[in-house]
Amino acid sequence: MDPKTREDLLKLFQGKLNEAMTFYLETCTRCGVCIEACHVYASMGKVRYIAAYRQEIVRRIYKKYFKARGNVWPSVGDAKELNDMALEELYEAAYSCTGCRRCMVYCPFGIDTQMIMSIAKLLLVGAHSEPEILTLLADTSIEKGKSLDIFKESFLTGIKKLEKDVVKKWKMEAGGTPIPMDVQGADLLFVALAGAHSIIPTAAIFNAAGENWTLSFFEAVNFGAFVGDPGRTQLILDRIVKEAKRLKVKEVCICECGTAFRVMKQLAGKQPFKVSSVTEVHARYIKEGRIQLDRSLLNGVVTYHDPCQIARNGDVIDAPRYILKHLTNHFREMSPDPKYNWCCGGGGGLVALGEETLDFRMKSSKVKADQIKRTEATTVVTACENCHTQLCNLNDHYQMGVDVKFLSSMVADALVQK
Amino acid sequence: MNTLYYFVLIPMVYFSFTVFFVGTGIRLVKIFRKPKQSTSLQIYPEKRPQWLWALHDTFLFPSVRKHKPVLWIFLILFHVCLLLLMIGHLELFGEFRIFQIIPHEVFLGKGFVGLILCLAVLFFLFRRFLSPVRELSVPEDYYLLILLFLIVLFGSQMDWARRWYGYEELLVEDYRTYLLSLLTLKPELPYNVINSGHSFMLVLHVFFANLFLIFFPFSQSMHSFLSLPMNKLRRG
Ligand code: HEM
Ligand code: SF4
Ligand code: SF4
Repeated sequence: MDPKTREDLLKLFQGKLNEAMTFYLETCTRCGVCIEACHVYASMGKVRYIAAYRQEIVRRIYKKYFKARGNVWPSVGDAKELNDMALEELYEAAYSCTGCRRCMVYCPFGIDTQMIMSIAKLLLVGAHSEPEILTLLADTSIEKGKSLDIFKESFLTGIKKLEKDVVKKWKMEAGGTPIPMDVQGADLLFVALAGAHSIIPTAAIFNAAGENWTLSFFEAVNFGAFVGDPGRTQLILDRIVKEAKRLKVKEVCICECGTAFRVMKQLAGKQPFKVSSVTEVHARYIKEGRIQLDRSLLNGVVTYHDPCQIARNGDVIDAPRYILKHLTNHFREMSPDPKYNWCCGGGGGLVALGEETLDFRMKSSKVKADQIKRTEATTVVTACENCHTQLCNLNDHYQMGVDVKFLSSMVADALVQK
Repeated sequence: MNTLYYFVLIPMVYFSFTVFFVGTGIRLVKIFRKPKQSTSLQIYPEKRPQWLWALHDTFLFPSVRKHKPVLWIFLILFHVCLLLLMIGHLELFGEFRIFQIIPHEVFLGKGFVGLILCLAVLFFLFRRFLSPVRELSVPEDYYLLILLFLIVLFGSQMDWARRWYGYEELLVEDYRTYLLSLLTLKPELPYNVINSGHSFMLVLHVFFANLFLIFFPFSQSMHSFLSLPMNKLRRG
């Protein structure tokens, strides 16, 4: 690594050192309380997957360049130089961490490993050593925000094709639009994923509830957040914020995507609209009597996987349980306390990297598969695209023989037409 | 020999306390003046009032109790004894009414506080030699513990000598003269303090304590000040 590159990378590092990050980098006592917290360590038993060990990969560089000690007595903290080998270690640490923050629950100080890993990810972006595909996807999203007019027509035609499927799930009164788009003054802007499964069921539910809604032109997923690039994350987010403001909606509702929800809820800042997850909105419809559900469709035990970014990190915990109470009499909790739920093992961009990470994802999530098996459930429900894909993969790999379902599509299937 | 004793007991003490207070102060001010995190770092579900739960997490280590109960017992003992020792040291300067609510001879705990600390520190040290905590640890973690062990051992020896083996040469009154003279910036070393059979223990105790204080602001020991704000972030 030439000195210029290193200098640039250290500048990126410096930019990350706000108050909270400095707390986290200064504090770890290496007490080892977090050892068993990480699903990757719990499944694979390798020391490099312990949360504190991952942190230390970043912290060693911090100790070298951002503490006076790094010049005087680097060996006392195992301070390390930032070089090509360090970059490899950073890659290994950051892209084996799903950012689930389960370890944060264990740590006596509450050190946020995901946040420390965001330094590693940013350095990798700076050194052009990140998984390229994630940056590529992020750039495509940003491009779409810049030149919406080019995409608009083909998107609208695509959406039109989905409408008959929406009507199949919920018959509307004549003259209604099954998937409204670009509606000025709508109450709710729904931000979905690219894919019929993310749009159709929820559209049917909105129509059933008589919601004054409109579908966003943009997909919710934020690849900028996966790759740990704050600039790109913000640009991808801004597209949606702009659209919401233009249409003057009161509420932005994020589809079943954990990252999108957390990024939107926490990064959007103060806005004239509120941010909710589709799960919260569906629970609200049931509570207000706007939709009725048929409870007799499901047989066997049903369990729910709390997506980390939505539950532990996003505070949507009661809503899915409330919905499930209206869908089945045989609900069984996966973990006695939702904040301790094991990560599915697919977050942090790992599922987005597809086949490339499949082997690792399966090995690192054995504890998740075991946890699901212990519930003896026949249906595993979740409310996140990433988790869903990962749970399906686990189902195949560990031959669990369960049905993996989206909560929203279960609600749509159980709608009672009055 | 006397020059060496003098150096450790007077100039080095001034130096280390300056580094400790100024260093810790400057470092904390610098850290707290950095830009605040703009997004929430909270873990859910939340419990209110959040500041009370943050205090609870900071001082009672509930997550350690849950996941590492044996470590928790030693940690609580260690930190409580540390507090008692701080009180004990204050009493080496003079009488404090409030501390005598429970009447005691100076150094609370009849010598057992030091003993418990020694054992706790040995426990911390030995668990660092066992995998996987061993792979996580860095030299600083060992140095701090070894320093603490030496400080506590020589400190306790002086206490134990008086209480347990009836060695009555170095008395609380001698320490008071010495420490008060330091505090009033007219340093003097009473005859007993440097000429009794146990003076070398005092010198070693103070020497290692000086090293610890000098290192403190630059080490992971800063967790003692940062723990509360960090726990507050987690509680929201
Ligand atoms: C009030 C907030 C504090 C909290 C939450 C806290 C928490 C902890 C924890 C979790 C450990 C880990 C033990 C280990 O390393 O195995 C520890 C160790 C330690 N603490 Fe504290 N502590 C606090 C205050 C203090 C204070 C005021 C001191 C004063 C010097 C102190 C000195 C130490 C030392 C010397 C260790 C042993 C280090 C080691 O084991 O490596 N702590 N503390
Ligand atoms: S629990 Fe926290 S302080 Fe302890 S080793 Fe893990 S990250 Fe460090
Ligand atoms: S955030 Fe999750 S994946 Fe990352 S180290 Fe912590 S427990 Fe492991």
